[in-house]
Amino acid sequence: MKKLSWVVLCAVLIAGLAMTGTYVQAADPIKIGIVDSYSGPPSTYTNDVRDGFKLAVDKINAKGGVLGRQITFITRDDKFKVDLGLSAAKELIMREKVDLLVGTINSAVALAVSDLAKKEKIPFLVTYSKSANITGAKGHPYVFSMNENTEMVGKGAAAALAKLPYVNYWIAGDDYEYGHAIAEGVWSNLKKLKPDVKLLGESWWKVGEPDFTPYITSILAAKPDAVIVATGGAGCVPFLKAAKATGFNERVPFFMHTATELSTLRPLGQEAPEGVMGTANYYFYYPDTPENKAFAEEFKKAYGRQPSFGSVIGWFTADFIAKAYEKAGKVDPEKFAQALSGLTIDSPIGKLTVRAVDNQVVLPLFMGKTKKAPDSDFLIATDIVTIPGEQTMPSAEDIKKAREK
Amino acid sequence: MEFATNLTFSAFCQQFLVGLSRTTILFIVSSGLSLVLGVLRIPNVAHGSLYMLGAFLAYSIATAFGGGSTGFWLALVLAPLCVALISLVVERGLFCRLYDREHLMLLLFTFAFMLLARDLVKLAWGSDYRSLSAPSMLQGSFSVLGMPFPRYNLFLLIIGPLVALGLWFLTNKTKIGKISRAAAVDREMVAAVGINVSWVFAFVFVIGCFLAGLGGALVAPTQNITQGMDHSLIMEAFLIVIIGGLGNMWGALLGALIFGLTDSLGILVWPQFAIVFPYVAVVIVLIFRPKGLLKATW
Repeated sequence: MKKLSWVVLCAVLIAGLAMTGTYVQAADPIKIGIVDSYSGPPSTYTNDVRDGFKLAVDKINAKGGVLGRQITFITRDDKFKVDLGLSAAKELIMREKVDLLVGTINSAVALAVSDLAKKEKIPFLVTYSKSANITGAKGHPYVFSMNENTEMVGKGAAAALAKLPYVNYWIAGDDYEYGHAIAEGVWSNLKKLKPDVKLLGESWWKVGEPDFTPYITSILAAKPDAVIVATGGAGCVPFLKAAKATGFNERVPFFMHTATELSTLRPLGQEAPEGVMGTANYYFYYPDTPENKAFAEEFKKAYGRQPSFGSVIGWFTADFIAKAYEKAGKVDPEKFAQALSGLTIDSPIGKLTVRAVDNQVVLPLFMGKTKKAPDSDFLIATDIVTIPGEQTMPSAEDIKKAREK
Repeated sequence: MEFATNLTFSAFCQQFLVGLSRTTILFIVSSGLSLVLGVLRIPNVAHGSLYMLGAFLAYSIATAFGGGSTGFWLALVLAPLCVALISLVVERGLFCRLYDREHLMLLLFTFAFMLLARDLVKLAWGSDYRSLSAPSMLQGSFSVLGMPFPRYNLFLLIIGPLVALGLWFLTNKTKIGKISRAAAVDREMVAAVGINVSWVFAFVFVIGCFLAGLGGALVAPTQNITQGMDHSLIMEAFLIVIIGGLGNMWGALLGALIFGLTDSLGILVWPQFAIVFPYVAVVIVLIFRPKGLLKATW
């Protein structure tokens, strides 16, 4: 017994020494706190963001970190709830003393945390929420959006749809903020570009609607030229399933944002309907550049799956953070925020800039059609049209107007 | 606004059929819930979790057998049986110790079980969306009065009455069915004549859970197999059981018909506000028949 405790004591001492050893060598790491929804359906996207982020952080750390300091990050699950997200963010700031906040997929959580970030003067990089309010009406110097927002989607998709010959439209979507914002964004812009379009009617279903067959059949009865489907996340997969079962895609062309995205098409396998028009911000096979290929290979090697748009967001968010600290020259929230605003970096999808006007990252949008591919387990997008980021961004005046309200 | 703008006869018929096929799933799941509620007096909140488990198991079994038609048919048989087996273990191990407790305890216990099942499903299958294809003979659609009607929904329309018939046979024509109906009315009396009520309860519980699993396996090809599919369904299933009459299986059938049909026809008549129709129907039923349409066994 005595011998054993002696061994244990030695082991503890050696371990302690080893730990203090590394402590002396490097300065305190830069601490990043991530609040996101890691439970339930949204985790399909958030896990990709986290994994992409980790991959980039590991790479940065292997090269010696930023300003001679390593980057570490801690994650907190907000369970898609505002109160949990807000208290997690508070805990990260007060107890963990993080230098930065990153997250989340829920727009309501993002806006609440953004408010806190403004008060505490801690930079907050929003990763997957698509509310236009984050950098629009509710924007401030400490909040940054690393994703597109519903207004950008609306503008981009409308530009592509206006070129098509359809006149009589039907709108269908999720009865909550995201669905209505996307539908409103596409429709108002489409009306501006092509004044003769007509709206035959609308259907709205509850979020998480499991079976879309009755909605599709009722839309078919109205015989529109084309349909704008404003469903996001978990709704895309069952909608496409019902579209295939009813032959909807063969009868009426329809547009759905994120329909061509990997997160939607991969689970459907060969079962996805062909010829669906969909916009997405990223495909691992497009743009066909060496940078994108290298990233896709690296991600696949690390995690055994293809990267989705979330993975790219995670990746370039980490890169933006590192470059902004380098530019700022020291770890200081105010200097960091100033440095990040207007910063341009290289990414797998080309050069990316955080616009100085509103701290919104300028992202290109790709519109394609679903098609079976001979060497792929799932459908891919073809006939891809790139809509450059500059075309979809809200104007500086609009931002100013929105913030004055 | 667009009130009844596209209401034609063919659209109505078609929407009616689609609603009816949806009713099938609702009936299968809520009849199981009603059975457990009526005989065991357990408001089984975890019923939805078993439905979700059925769908996930169907996915795994189908993929394990190559994902084709054989995979699907095997999954349709095996997944509900697996769910039934799991429920047997849970009933014998945990539930059977709780029958003497008050309802609140049972409710809390099933609630805890639901949370547990949710996390276990996440551990086992991860958080990606899963999708199961229907066998090739049930894919695509055929035309009903010029409108497309999915083949798989026709299959559901055949399965629904079969399950109802099977349940009727089980509860009315078999000895154990008769005993369980008697136990629903007066369990002390059943025990007094020397029948082991505990095993009758286990049997009923397993049948109820089998139905939840069957519902999950049947619904898998029409939707997303994902976490969260449990709680969207359990709400509807409870509403159906309540408007049908607690514990009454035929009430569950009636409730499912009302719920499913108001839902699909509401979508046709007034698509913008379709969400409210089934709930309005529930409210109307409860105003006029606060104890449900048919006689409750409680």
